[in-house]
Amino acid sequence: MSRSDNLPVIGFAGMTHLGLNSSVGMAETGFDVVCFDPDASLIAALVKGEMPVLEPDLPETAARNKSRITFTSDRTDLGRCDVVYVAPDVPVTDDGISDLADLDALLELVIPAIRKDAVLVNLSQVPPGFTRARMRTGLNLYYQVETLIFGRAIERALHPERYIIGCADPDAPLPDAFRRCLEAYGCPILPMRYESAELCKISINCCLVASISVANTLSELCEGIGADWSEIAPALKLDRRIGQHSYLAPGLGIGGSNLIRDLITVTRLAEETGSDASVIAAWIRNSAYRKEWALRTLHDRVLNTTADPLIAVWGLAYKENTHSTKNAPAFALIENLHPYRLTAFDPVIKTSAAPHPAPIDATSALDCAADADALCIMTPWDDFKSVDPAEIASAMKGKWVLDPYRTLDAKACSTAGLKYMTLGVADA
Amino acid sequence: MLEHLNASPANPHRVVILGQNGFVASTLATALQAQDIPTLALGRDTIDLTAANATDSLAGTLNTTDTLAFVSALAPSRDAAAMAANMHMVETVAGAIAKAPVAHLVNISSDAVYADSVHLAYEGLPAAPTSPHGAMHLAREILLSNAARAAGVPLAHLRPSLLYGAGDPHNGYGPNRFRRQALAGETITLFGEGEELRDHVAVEDVAETIVQVIQHRSSGVLNIATGRSVSFRQCAERAVELAGKGAVSGSPRQNPVTHRHFDVTARLKAFPALRFASFEQGFTKSFR
Repeated sequence: MSRSDNLPVIGFAGMTHLGLNSSVGMAETGFDVVCFDPDASLIAALVKGEMPVLEPDLPETAARNKSRITFTSDRTDLGRCDVVYVAPDVPVTDDGISDLADLDALLELVIPAIRKDAVLVNLSQVPPGFTRARMRTGLNLYYQVETLIFGRAIERALHPERYIIGCADPDAPLPDAFRRCLEAYGCPILPMRYESAELCKISINCCLVASISVANTLSELCEGIGADWSEIAPALKLDRRIGQHSYLAPGLGIGGSNLIRDLITVTRLAEETGSDASVIAAWIRNSAYRKEWALRTLHDRVLNTTADPLIAVWGLAYKENTHSTKNAPAFALIENLHPYRLTAFDPVIKTSAAPHPAPIDATSALDCAADADALCIMTPWDDFKSVDPAEIASAMKGKWVLDPYRTLDAKACSTAGLKYMTLGVADA
Repeated sequence: MLEHLNASPANPHRVVILGQNGFVASTLATALQAQDIPTLALGRDTIDLTAANATDSLAGTLNTTDTLAFVSALAPSRDAAAMAANMHMVETVAGAIAKAPVAHLVNISSDAVYADSVHLAYEGLPAAPTSPHGAMHLAREILLSNAARAAGVPLAHLRPSLLYGAGDPHNGYGPNRFRRQALAGETITLFGEGEELRDHVAVEDVAETIVQVIQHRSSGVLNIATGRSVSFRQCAERAVELAGKGAVSGSPRQNPVTHRHFDVTARLKAFPALRFASFEQGFTKSFR
């Protein structure tokens, strides 16, 4: 081991969302970590404490563990690591397919730099077959399933539910340094063959999507028959077979490109192997359909009947507590509102980023709502929850509020005279 | 699921409409003329698309800058003879654009290409017609797609739902017949209790959508529907209400109840500024 207290030194290659949060989390656990990225400007910013991603507790945790973290753009620094994680974010193409070129390039950069006895762990999500295809003689290669959640990345890094480890030989004991690294978290460690681990990650996401799809399908039914999904979901969560943490909140389709990417992977593999994945195709279709709830509702209630309407949008980020706009529901909506006047406000995203020819800037949520015919709350930021519906009603010209994530209190909105629309109930 | 080749709408040099006196063709001509778009409406008197020499006649009429709107159909196409006539028509059009490729081809198809059992229709749904009429339209779509691809002509297939409007010459079960019956003070007899939900679209909105497709030189597939379905009973009762006379009665049900709704997201995305009349608005207008 490389330290006097016998804790292994952990390396991370790729300082985007996954690698950065995972490495900071590991430093918080007490490990010395070497954080490598070939982008020298990114490393320079990290050294100054400037985080390239927005994640709760990330800056504070990084600052608190500054003495344990070495940021470097020199790959030879990885030579002092016992375990090296390769963890770049894997981009997803517009077709929902992982673009693995950057991961492969980083692997080729890192492998020559690590010690022969070091353990190399790919933390980036890859399709089944990827890891075994990269195996080579003399390389201690493992695949570890990541379960990062945007907006909860540090929490997830510090409190994993279990570790799923893809191995060349699942019956062989894990290398000592790697095992000790994992055991520091006191959670179950599940070694399995590479392909199982790769499919395990996809399986987790399919289970999540199944729950989301149930919620989305039945919440729409609620809207049609006068039921309220918010009354039903808690009952389901008390069923042990379903569970308290199940994904039963209705949303605008399946959020994020990673889940869709995994569904597409399953349909591709099913096509190649001749298995039935028609349910997966149905999930994808249902997601695409529910994703456009706000657009359809806005047309139905406002755009089809109001002359020269002004549409206000609260929230541009993909979800609260992130600065990412990739797959943001707000962007998906705004892209289809070009003929209409639009104003937008987000706590971290500039209005000018909105995909609209002339978005009207706003200084605050209430400023954004001023004179609007309809208000669409497309990211459930905490900042919006405290806005008084009476003030919204007073500021707006029209009364329609589309709030898919139930950011505001429905009854308070109704009391304020607003016409409140949300997912899962006809008249909230 | 349309792709606009014109990012901004632009009027074509001319629109040649195959169909002249029909419900859709005549409404389309009026809508195009309102936009100052030159039109040439070809009825059967001018070119009989089922005639042996029709291909050459049509090709000789077309210019490379024309938009060709294929509206003509022997409808409803219920038997082999009607199917054959409709296939002759598409053979003529396919042959004509092979000889004289146009700038844009718009084919007026039908939502009958979807299975009757489909309750939420959208453009990505595989076509699976269960009626000769739907099979005819699907066959025409496929044949035209092949021909257009070979000729390098952008092609849009438009699939309207059930049409209604004051000028509809057809008298099929639905709003148009109900309106006539109510205005005549007759009793409207429903199939069963008229529970079936359908998306009835005003012909003026269909025509306006076609105009938009033409102006954007769009290619692909688009359903034309309002996004809100109403029952035949609602239609009938509203007809009686608007006419101030007539009555509605049910009858023993012969067939199971089926419903059809449309996901109109693709239309909202393709033409976000286009407004459709609600059934209430459009049906009321058809009484004036």
